[in-house]
Amino acid sequence: MTGRTDMRAKEIAIDIGGTFTDGIALDRASGRLVVAKVPTSRHNPREGFLACLEELLRGSGFQSFSTVVHGTTLVTNTLIERNGSPVALIVSKGTEDALAIGREFRYDLYDLHQRRPEPLVGRDAIVGIPSRLDKHGESVSEITEGELEALGETVARLGIDTVAVCLLHASVNPRHERKVRDYLLSRFPDLRVSLSSDVSRAVREYERMSTVAANAYVVRRVEDYLDLLDGSLRDRGLNGHFRIMTSSGGFTSLDAAKGRPIELLESGPAGGVLGAIATATDLGISRILAFDMGGTTAKACVAVDGRAPLTELFEVDRVQRFKKGSGLPVMVSAIDLVEIGAGGGSIARANARGSFQVGPESAGAAPGPACYGKGGIEPTVTDADLALGYLDPDDFLGGSFRLDRAAAQAALAGLGERLGLDTVRAAVGIVALVNENMAGAARQHIAENGLDPRSLTLVATGGAGPVHAVEVAATVGIERVVVGTSPGAGSCLGFLGAGGRTERLRPSDRRLDELDWRELGDWIKKAESEAAEELVKGGLRRKDVTTAIEANMRYAGQGDGLWVALDKEMLARRDVAAMARAFEAHYASIFGIVIPNTRVEVATWRLAAHGPGARVTARSPSPAPEGGLSAEPGTRDIYSPARDAFVSAAVWRRDALSPGLRLTGPLIVTERETSTVVARDAEVEVAPDGALIVTLG
Amino acid sequence: MAIDPVGLEIIWSRLTGILDEGAAQFVRTSFSPLVRDSNDFAIVVTDASGRALGQSSLSIPSFIGTLPASVKAFLDRVDSRTLTPDALYVSNDPWFGTGHIHDATLIAPIFMEGALQGFAAIAHHLPDIGGRIRGVGNRDIFEEGLQIPLTRLHGDGRSNDELIGMIERNVRTPAQTMGDIWAGASVCNFLRRRLAEFLPDYGLTLTEIADHLIERSASALAGKIDEIPDGEYYHETFHDGFEHPIRVACRVVVSGSRLAIDLTGSSPQQPFAVNVVPAYAKAYLAFALKAVLDPDLPNNEGLFLPLSVDAPRGCIFNPDYPAATGARAMMGHMLVPAFMCALARALPHNVVAEGAGVSVILLSGETEGRPYNATNFVTGGQGASAAADGMDAICFPSNLSNSSVEIIERQAPVRVHHRRLRKGSGGRGAHRGGDGIEFELECLDEAPVYCSLIMTRAKIAPLGLMGGEAGKCAEIWLNNRAVDFSDQFRLMRGDVLTILTAGGGGYGQPGRAS
Repeated sequence: MTGRTDMRAKEIAIDIGGTFTDGIALDRASGRLVVAKVPTSRHNPREGFLACLEELLRGSGFQSFSTVVHGTTLVTNTLIERNGSPVALIVSKGTEDALAIGREFRYDLYDLHQRRPEPLVGRDAIVGIPSRLDKHGESVSEITEGELEALGETVARLGIDTVAVCLLHASVNPRHERKVRDYLLSRFPDLRVSLSSDVSRAVREYERMSTVAANAYVVRRVEDYLDLLDGSLRDRGLNGHFRIMTSSGGFTSLDAAKGRPIELLESGPAGGVLGAIATATDLGISRILAFDMGGTTAKACVAVDGRAPLTELFEVDRVQRFKKGSGLPVMVSAIDLVEIGAGGGSIARANARGSFQVGPESAGAAPGPACYGKGGIEPTVTDADLALGYLDPDDFLGGSFRLDRAAAQAALAGLGERLGLDTVRAAVGIVALVNENMAGAARQHIAENGLDPRSLTLVATGGAGPVHAVEVAATVGIERVVVGTSPGAGSCLGFLGAGGRTERLRPSDRRLDELDWRELGDWIKKAESEAAEELVKGGLRRKDVTTAIEANMRYAGQGDGLWVALDKEMLARRDVAAMARAFEAHYASIFGIVIPNTRVEVATWRLAAHGPGARVTARSPSPAPEGGLSAEPGTRDIYSPARDAFVSAAVWRRDALSPGLRLTGPLIVTERETSTVVARDAEVEVAPDGALIVTLG
Repeated sequence: MAIDPVGLEIIWSRLTGILDEGAAQFVRTSFSPLVRDSNDFAIVVTDASGRALGQSSLSIPSFIGTLPASVKAFLDRVDSRTLTPDALYVSNDPWFGTGHIHDATLIAPIFMEGALQGFAAIAHHLPDIGGRIRGVGNRDIFEEGLQIPLTRLHGDGRSNDELIGMIERNVRTPAQTMGDIWAGASVCNFLRRRLAEFLPDYGLTLTEIADHLIERSASALAGKIDEIPDGEYYHETFHDGFEHPIRVACRVVVSGSRLAIDLTGSSPQQPFAVNVVPAYAKAYLAFALKAVLDPDLPNNEGLFLPLSVDAPRGCIFNPDYPAATGARAMMGHMLVPAFMCALARALPHNVVAEGAGVSVILLSGETEGRPYNATNFVTGGQGASAAADGMDAICFPSNLSNSSVEIIERQAPVRVHHRRLRKGSGGRGAHRGGDGIEFELECLDEAPVYCSLIMTRAKIAPLGLMGGEAGKCAEIWLNNRAVDFSDQFRLMRGDVLTILTAGGGGYGQPGRAS
């Protein structure tokens, strides 16, 4: 991902999150980094963006900038709050109820009273058209002029100015969808039309229909937002490149983002993973587990050589947040991170096993953990962290408010009483369980990606991440933990380090010995130029854009495939034996076996275009001399799980540590947004850029 | 040895994590569309005596009950002293395993430091097992396909190549069928490895852990049963049947913290593939009991302890060999509404009215030079409850997903005309029953498409509860004419098959708030 850096560049990244809008400004020439944080304006996110930008310009002294990279939760919020624009959905006749029917399964086997997620488009705005393609993409009945005119009448009658189109087998041949779009646009030039074949080339009409409906549902809000924002920047004479982060961890151009806004869905979490990658890359570390723990959830994601795995299917707006299958499916490429209900606010409750569980319910910001003193009475992870000495009641979030230790103790005692545990044992149990939950999810994610935990370094971010990271790493079997210099600004750092990325997919479903090489060659050429063009619009030079071919391969008859990177020479030679070997090697690394006597097929082709990212080196100014200290540490008793006892730990302020310093745990390093807790005999080193590197014994 | 609540929870969470990881691996490596699209499989870990500790979360209800029963039957037949640490056994015997020969059950002992700790077991629907295509029309097990009595597949460092050759010779898709068995074997090895890593951390045997988990679940469930007023509760319901309707008689006797179910009075076993082995019947009744009383209870042996199920020999729920069982789900699923309606008087707020169940459309033949064998599920309306309308078009009590139209058309030479809601098919009530589905396809090939339907509720509608009305019956049409689907039939080019599935029963009198 790291490429050449233009040393004159002045770069800005702004990430709109649920609570705060974060920004950073980087002057490449001096390496100076300025951070800004303003409250998110829920109803008009542009205000927050502009306020954040003003603060960055003021702080950095920039008159202008060369690029601004932007990530936003606008798409997610619009889908969850259901305040997008009404959509008319055009489908193949006979599939009008597909959104209402879904896949007919129950997301909870035992819950007799579950409900489905409400479709984004109601039945009265869904129109079936009789023209039809077969599975090969060939026309069974062609679209007639009369059919199109009737469709035009219906759209006019509905009075809806945003349209989604999902026709059967359009992933094989988008021709009918395009005809519908061309006709509607010629008749109603102000219409916005989203085609399922433009947002996803995967087979399965329900999931594709759900995806294109979601795209259409947000398209006007995103377009209005981005146009106004772009206008505001131009009004201020700021004409740098405007780049938009996508879920797959790259940026794209403004125009592409406006046409396929659904790709912006998970840009924040993607930025978080990229931020961890940037931190690690700076330290020369290439294999990581990015670990983020906030108030409600924890996320984990592996990355090797700067690349995180991608998924093509995820869900949004779940009826039950952590129940797979209870949301609307969305099929676009996104960084494949694992998210579980484990955060500082996660509540501990007794359960039917005669034990207790932590999460997924969270006390959130209101009432918050019991120790916030805002009315929470159930014990949370933060209450347990406080009781075990990991948090300082007088120095939480920079001392902005005091934590109430007595309230935490009372909540813990309440749970402990039901289970025959004293307050301390209850707190120990809560921390052990939440760490176990996170470690379990991480372990599974690591195994699914065919990696060995011992080869990874955990990079911790988020308010609660560095508090729990060392013990989680120990449970997973990871031997090194890194806490970067600004664990709270992770996403923005990631945005600046991100390269351009876009892709084109093509379904194949053919065995290696049946590939149509000429057709494939034509598609690759076309996809290459389209994808590169898109990135050039985002401000990259054509010669900096590289493309790569991947194939989703499987044994003939399997459903799921594995993505295998194929080098272009292998394809040019039409070397199917080498392709099969590449697949089997990958298959064996993940599943431990290969299947004899079976042929290999390609389910889907992917052409990915990448533009170089820039290395972000953040320097944190330190008052202390090289290898020295500017202040003596305090001490506090903290609970050490390894020794099952309270031990005395040194408490350091982060800004008192200078590069090169080496310390030994147990210790705590505090900073405004978080505390790094090392409750065992581990070595801690301060890296040249100020990052903390913890090596577990 | 004592386990504190935290230790217990961590062990539980790790165990579930390991099983789910095994399940995810199996889904990704399986060749069977039923496994990956419909989760038609399950994985359990038992202790050395075959008591289930836990199971993969993504499973359908039947295997939860049958897998531990298989391990216990295994222990009756195989001397555990003869087992080697790499031993792996396979069977598809319906009475030993899951109730029909289309599922393989694999059993692998888990050894640690030379001692038998427990077993990993997996059951999964195979891509093909030979014989005629699955359908109600098969009259005995010999028509249904290859039988594999309990046999060692692997052990002492080598595989049983004679058995493998035998299987490969008898099925239509040898590579896929064996591919799935090897995928299952690799999941068993994975479970062995993971358990060996995790158990030493706690210094406990699987039996000690099982004691704790089982005792907790059993006593929680017993406590809930205790809250039901003692007494006898009865409900009978009827399946369409063939010449005659088939009776499902369900007598529930609650006494203190025990609940006994007697299926005496149900019809005798049938010369069709609708017979249900006892382990399968008990699995669905245990599912219903948990769903009604305590949905969050962890799945382990404890769920079965307060429950007993009886059915006389020769009854449809306790058939004698060589009864055919391929379409067992058709009858087995009816035990759930039968049980719920029996308990409706005692627990009116916990139950749902009768619903449509799931139907299966099997298509096989040869197209473009290749054989195909496609299974498609089509669901109907769920029964309503005191709290809400029944869900439309939902799989209950099993949990199988439909296939996309684009997938159906790729698997077999057919075109789907429509799949839509059958509006107004749910029974009226204070809460209405869920609507069924209208599904229509057309045969495109010159070569015939062999079609087998496992359909329910075509003659006898799902009844309402508490004054709610019945849902509409299912209907099946071939070119707009009634069709005899008690055996497989052929679709020729241009033939149109139309299926309307039943609506669910309503709850409470229409027009009244319940």
